[in-house]
Amino acid sequence: MPEIGTPALVYMIAALVVPFVRPAMLRQLLLLAVPVLGLLTFWQLPYGTYGAFNLMNMHIGLMRLDALSYVFGLIFSLAAFLALLYAWHVRDTVQQVATLLYAGAGLGAVFAADLVTLFVFWEGTALASVFLIWARRTEGAYATGMRYLIVQVGSGVILLAGIVLFYRETGSIAFSRMDLESPATWAIFLAFGIKCAFPLLHNWLQDAYPAATITGTVTLSAFTTKLAVYALARGFPGTELLIYIGATMTLFPVFFAAVENNLRRVLAYSLNNQLGFMVVGVGIGTPLALNGTVAHAFCHILYKALLFMSVGAVMYRTGTSKASELGGLYKSMPLTMIFCVVGAMSISAFPLFSGFISKSLILSASADTGHYFVWLALVVASVGVLEHSGIKIPYFTFFAHDAGHRVKEAPFHMLLAMGITAALCIGLGVFPSLLYGILPYAVDYTPYTVTHVVTQLQLLLFAGLAFAVLIRTGLYPAEIRSVNLDFDWTYRRLLPAIIGALRHVIVGTWRFGVRITMGRVDRFVAGIYRAHGPQGPLARTWPTGSMVLWIAVLLGMTLVLAYI
Amino acid sequence: MTDHPNGEGAGMPPLARLLSFIDKPHNVTRVFYLLLAVCIALGLSDFLYHKHAYFAVEEFPAIYGIFGFIAYVTVIFLAKGLRLIIKRPEDYYEPFAIDTEDERAAGSDPEATGGKPHA
Amino acid sequence: MTDANALLLALAIPAIAMFLIAASGSRPNIRDGISVAASIATFAVVLRLLESIIAGARPSVTLVEVMPGLVINFSIEPLGMLFATVASGLWIVTAIYSIGYMRGAHEKKQTRFYICFALAIAAALAIAFSGNLFTLFIFYEVLTLSTYPLVAHKETPEARAGARVYLGILMTTSILFLLVAVIWTWSLTGTMEFRAGGILEGNIDPVFVPFLLALFAFGIGKAALMPFHRWLPAAMVAPTPVSALLHAVAVVKAGVFTMLKVGTYIFGIGFLGRTGASEWLVWLAAATILIASIVALTKDDLKARLAYSTVSQLSYITLGMALANQMGVVGGAMHIVMHAMGKITLFMCAGAIYVAAHKTKVSELDGLGRKMPLTFIAFAIASFSIIGLPPFGGAWSKWYLLLSAADAGQLVIIGVLMLSSLLNVAYLLSIPARAFFSPPKDQMAHSLGAAALPSKGWEEAPLFCLVPICLTALGCIVLFFAVGGIYEYLLSIPISPETAP
Repeated sequence: MPEIGTPALVYMIAALVVPFVRPAMLRQLLLLAVPVLGLLTFWQLPYGTYGAFNLMNMHIGLMRLDALSYVFGLIFSLAAFLALLYAWHVRDTVQQVATLLYAGAGLGAVFAADLVTLFVFWEGTALASVFLIWARRTEGAYATGMRYLIVQVGSGVILLAGIVLFYRETGSIAFSRMDLESPATWAIFLAFGIKCAFPLLHNWLQDAYPAATITGTVTLSAFTTKLAVYALARGFPGTELLIYIGATMTLFPVFFAAVENNLRRVLAYSLNNQLGFMVVGVGIGTPLALNGTVAHAFCHILYKALLFMSVGAVMYRTGTSKASELGGLYKSMPLTMIFCVVGAMSISAFPLFSGFISKSLILSASADTGHYFVWLALVVASVGVLEHSGIKIPYFTFFAHDAGHRVKEAPFHMLLAMGITAALCIGLGVFPSLLYGILPYAVDYTPYTVTHVVTQLQLLLFAGLAFAVLIRTGLYPAEIRSVNLDFDWTYRRLLPAIIGALRHVIVGTWRFGVRITMGRVDRFVAGIYRAHGPQGPLARTWPTGSMVLWIAVLLGMTLVLAYI
Repeated sequence: MTDHPNGEGAGMPPLARLLSFIDKPHNVTRVFYLLLAVCIALGLSDFLYHKHAYFAVEEFPAIYGIFGFIAYVTVIFLAKGLRLIIKRPEDYYEPFAIDTEDERAAGSDPEATGGKPHA
Repeated sequence: MTDANALLLALAIPAIAMFLIAASGSRPNIRDGISVAASIATFAVVLRLLESIIAGARPSVTLVEVMPGLVINFSIEPLGMLFATVASGLWIVTAIYSIGYMRGAHEKKQTRFYICFALAIAAALAIAFSGNLFTLFIFYEVLTLSTYPLVAHKETPEARAGARVYLGILMTTSILFLLVAVIWTWSLTGTMEFRAGGILEGNIDPVFVPFLLALFAFGIGKAALMPFHRWLPAAMVAPTPVSALLHAVAVVKAGVFTMLKVGTYIFGIGFLGRTGASEWLVWLAAATILIASIVALTKDDLKARLAYSTVSQLSYITLGMALANQMGVVGGAMHIVMHAMGKITLFMCAGAIYVAAHKTKVSELDGLGRKMPLTFIAFAIASFSIIGLPPFGGAWSKWYLLLSAADAGQLVIIGVLMLSSLLNVAYLLSIPARAFFSPPKDQMAHSLGAAALPSKGWEEAPLFCLVPICLTALGCIVLFFAVGGIYEYLLSIPISPETAP
């Protein structure tokens, strides 16, 4: 494969070509070939910086290949392939092009060696991904997409401001480790934080992902947030603040997910919670913890995609993703059910599934470094993960009460995509060395000890028992159709209300002011007319003065009329 | 499987027929007791090996199981409490949200019937 | 051909074209052909000049001496050359577009239209090349007058009213403020020449600098600084090609170009920076950026929304001058190019929508993207560029304006620019997004959204409209990658005597 600077180029070129490829079958094959070609461009390259050049005195490096970016490049390529395979049936050119551009921008950002390139691709992910939401083509999706885009572009411009300040401070735009000590790095940190769905900055995720198309959500789940995790791992490893942010992130979504009815939104909350584990890992910053973050991101992309795929497959066949409308689907879609359960067990970190071998790294790192409360929070959060992703998703979709859907099994290509992903989830869980071998730091870690396996099983199965007890006693919260408020209420309801009130006041004041002024002017003119008009007393004595005054009045009137 | 309660077993995929035993309430109870038994066994297994523990409290038998059970119940009850505060009608954000729209617009199979339309 | 002759030729071609157009008024095809040919010829000559300027030449021609010290002089320096290149280059596009639009919309009195158009371009080039304030002022007024018939072209009461506001504000401000400023400058320094590093330093009590600057800033009404911005939305009654060229490129850019030129060659950026005289202008420009964006959000009329967007974007350039450092000038000048390319695309799209679908309101555009995909893709690309998103040209001018704000230590201005980007997303991007992805209003009942609608054939505007749109949209992308050259070129603008090349 020739050296082309960045694998993003492959995706961009393909995105230009794809709309013109006919017939549909050829186009699908081309789409699937893109991630493979993209992977080949960096698969065998030795580590180093490629595509380096000087632009307006700035050192641009399109592709920095090192241990960290390599893993993310690998999993992003894999995720793109699986998402495109899953979307084999989609004939909508907009979605196909958007998927390519989005995945390409994600890869480009991960490989960026400098902050300017990072910014370019950072905005690229925002721009390309919004089309996966708009592609639903409803009023609600349009509005949601607009909110999503403003938040994402907002993250981009904050990043840009940070980069500008950073460039002025240091004279360099190299993207490497930074310290939180100036407005520049804080801005960059905040920009990463928005994309990473930090607490209170997280609502775009739960808002947008359920609004995307079935296939779009699978794609969305892989790139944006993991790009942010990568950026944090690159820029801010060992920043203590991240530990607490991450711990909060693991906990709070658990409660929202438990009472959420839209299953894709449940998964979005769950995604948020999983990001928390990764952020904690970045915050701890030891080699073990960073390995944990990278490994967890790798596994997470797979099992989260698998869960979104299985819920998506159900949505494809039944036309709904609401828990209150689903149930009993194991009878119609048993294979999808099995894949969903694999995803659920992976995310819950059952031994022999991928989540187990990655999450343990972060938990061990937090205990090793003496962050006991954080460790405890993560254990509680693990129980929460089991609750919303491990049990709730499969139980209310495929079991619980039979909602009466009698549908076909998912289409073959979806089953294939889910099957491959499920196999990877189990494969990584059974052979952890496959993943450990490519982590950025040398790993000396054994996940499968008797203690670890038994304690983990105890934790999960007793929690499962608690679920069974609650269900049998009727204490488990019922699935009901509702919307649950979250922090987004502040900008979806409160802010518009404030702006509306302000607008009312301003418009009112403006109108009042204009009326008063116009009234004054009218009276003034009338007064002058009385004094200087043809019949006015002054007109006879001072015709010249009258002329001047008239001109002044006319000029004044012209000005007033011109500006109002 | 001919003993299926609804008698619709014949139309199901073979894999689904294997699982259809859980449609019977007494089988669900059996699964429940099986889970209980596994849990007890797991709890007791703590006496059989040397636990590699970070904290003293970890030495307590079945501590993880007990913790998991309590944590789970706590999460659920807190979430139920939270729901009292944050629950709103599904059309709360209408028309700027997808919550009440027909979900089939997301690209469902043309044959999909969808959920019940919003009241 | 010497550089001086080329300079005169560049001015003469559009002027001569006026007469040829007038003579061939009865034969529309020949008339329109002349218009396009003249635009191409002008651009060729301007490119030839650009080459010389890059090579370091600074041609200068004095035409007449009205009285001692008052001369009509044309001299080219990098900033003026940039403006001339933009104006003449986009004239070609607009000339082609006008053919499609004017015929498609069945406009009357097309000959008068093309005559005034050519005159306006000649005036714009004269402004670009003017070597002193006197020359600049004269052609500034010529530009105002020559565009008046264009604005009032439709001869409806609304058109006349809009044109009156247009003329009223531009003439009033230029005579009340600009003329006074010019005379004041002359009396202070005894010269009106544009000189590298400015002519005022040492000749004026620093206390008065902000006042003189205010006279210039408000006098240059074409820069549409609030509160003298009303003419711009009022002028939107004009046919769309006029709005496109004159209100995205020639007239408004003549305003902000004059602003930059006065800042660089009369005050001197170094002098402004040292005295802090432009600090107030920074805040006024920032306020204009935000307020105009917010007003744009509330406008349902497509062209009015674009007009307020222009008001907002012009203040980026004024801001660049007012920040008074090299990056500000680079960013401001770069924004002239980037914004021209983006905004002309937007206006031409608005015109194409009018010609093809007879729609003028944003709220009527739902679902139109399926019928006019190319137009709306171009609209989206231009919007991205104006918002400042990569990989579109506008990202770089925003980058340099941000650098300038960072150099000036103005963190708040950085915040303003960020907020403005978000507002731009809201008022610009909503247009193509709705057009493509919102279900048409009359089919709201359809539960599955537009996805389930049968897609009908394209109903795009005529090719004469469509091709220019695609070209300029492509230009927005090309400018992102071609920025290195522009940047090098802009560094040759002399900022203060010490840094002059």
